[in-house]
Amino acid sequence: MAQSTIKVEIKRQSSPGAAAVTEKFEIPYRPGMNITSLLGEIALNPVDVAGKATTPVTYDSNCLEEICGSCAMLINGKARMACSALVDKLEQPITLAPLSKFPVVRDLAVDRSVLFENLKKVKAWVPIDGTYDLGPGPKQAPQIQEQRYPLSNCISCTICMEVCPQFNDATGFVGAATIAQTKLFNMDPSGSVLKEERLRALAGDGGIQECGFAQNCVQACPKQLPLTEAISDMGRDVFVQQVKDLFAR
Amino acid sequence: MATAAPPAPPATPQLHGVQPLRAGEGNSYLWRKLHSLTGIVPIGAFLVEHIISNFETLNGPLAYAQQVKFLNSLPLVRILEWGLIFIPLAFHALYGLFIAVRGRSNVNVYPWAGNWMYLSQRVTGVIAFLYIIQHVWRQRFAGVSLPENPGAAFHKVQVELSNPWMLAIYVVAMIATSWHFAYGIWLFAAKWGITPGEKARKKFGYVCGVVGTALCLMGLASIWAVVYKYPNAPENVLPEQPAGVVLPASQTSSPISDPSFVQK
Ligand code: SF4
Ligand code: FES
Repeated sequence: MAQSTIKVEIKRQSSPGAAAVTEKFEIPYRPGMNITSLLGEIALNPVDVAGKATTPVTYDSNCLEEICGSCAMLINGKARMACSALVDKLEQPITLAPLSKFPVVRDLAVDRSVLFENLKKVKAWVPIDGTYDLGPGPKQAPQIQEQRYPLSNCISCTICMEVCPQFNDATGFVGAATIAQTKLFNMDPSGSVLKEERLRALAGDGGIQECGFAQNCVQACPKQLPLTEAISDMGRDVFVQQVKDLFAR
Repeated sequence: MATAAPPAPPATPQLHGVQPLRAGEGNSYLWRKLHSLTGIVPIGAFLVEHIISNFETLNGPLAYAQQVKFLNSLPLVRILEWGLIFIPLAFHALYGLFIAVRGRSNVNVYPWAGNWMYLSQRVTGVIAFLYIIQHVWRQRFAGVSLPENPGAAFHKVQVELSNPWMLAIYVVAMIATSWHFAYGIWLFAAKWGITPGEKARKKFGYVCGVVGTALCLMGLASIWAVVYKYPNAPENVLPEQPAGVVLPASQTSSPISDPSFVQK
């Protein structure tokens, strides 16, 4: 590419309540950059396109290889992982903005603890804590492992929630990631002991019923989780659980 | 060893933004599932019945009158009408509106097929709702009452469709309603876990497409029959059907002609 600079426009906000402003940057071109290295470049010399000194841009990141899930943001308007978004493949000027459905902490960093809370609500864990050695867990059939492995790839990036038309203030929908993790832990031979509790939790307000099956989650998920399949499977299991509870409790 | 109270776990801070799952709270699960179910039975089933019945218009005003008469002679027909059509339909429509206004469509940012279908399901639902309000009012409750005058059915619809605007509304609503129903079955199967796999959903998508297209074409054919195939249909092709059951008055003096046999 013959260009010598990269144009970037970043939506910034100095604190949770502050008004958002857009700052423009133009930085020297290097081949093979991604958005996190671009932001690092700006941090080295935080001067905007007009030559005015500013602060380094705040954003979350950690692994820089799309495995920690922290760097989700809106890149050219779409929710993506910054560390796997290659500058050479993006149209310029590149616009960066924080995820739109989570409260902004500062600049591109948002508070995504709603996902953590949701995972706690469905008890997305295997309850093996105890005061003595429980011994080896039950065996897992390879067929079960094959179904579970893709679900275990979730990096809690919240992109599936950001792109979901049903995930918003009005519905308080739980989002695809939590539903997928419910399936993951329900299929675990040891984790399945909490299966009924998880399924009941998913029938609460904001639960799986709010899904409108727009299927954006499965399109946008950077780790290609089979999210619609998980929603469908959990939809059936939650329903069966509700019927059982109706007649057996 | 000094005994100290274990440190209290940090209180979960009040979150701004979208609220977490309210596990164990509320009844939205029940209402949402009822909404989904009523779309298939009884409303979807009624839609199929309605379109098949209307298809009789292709056999002319008299055939259509017979069909209307048959439906109105079903046992408990008024209870069926309210219990299986009006009440579920009103619930499905109102709760559907409630669902629609709480969605935040984003096809402008993510123009993907499923996302468009999500929007289309809401748009076609609203079109169908508006159409059905006027349709039920103008055809069922206003004007000549069809349960007592099944023979007037064909003419009544024909007069309605003589207005080109109304004709356009009927055509648009026919397409929107079949679309809403066909995609509704697909959504039902996907969300209730009948078609969890990608392949199953794809295959079932074809099935729903065929069903929706067939219903839509049948409906459009009926509209065509009313407007173009049998122009100038007589105002009433059957004698008035009194409410209740009445024995026909006999010409000869058989015991049946005794007035005491006539039931009101
Ligand atoms: S399911 Fe996919 S999109 Fe959603 S949080 Fe997990 S990795 Fe991200
Ligand atoms: S920095 Fe870890 S996913 Fe991007």
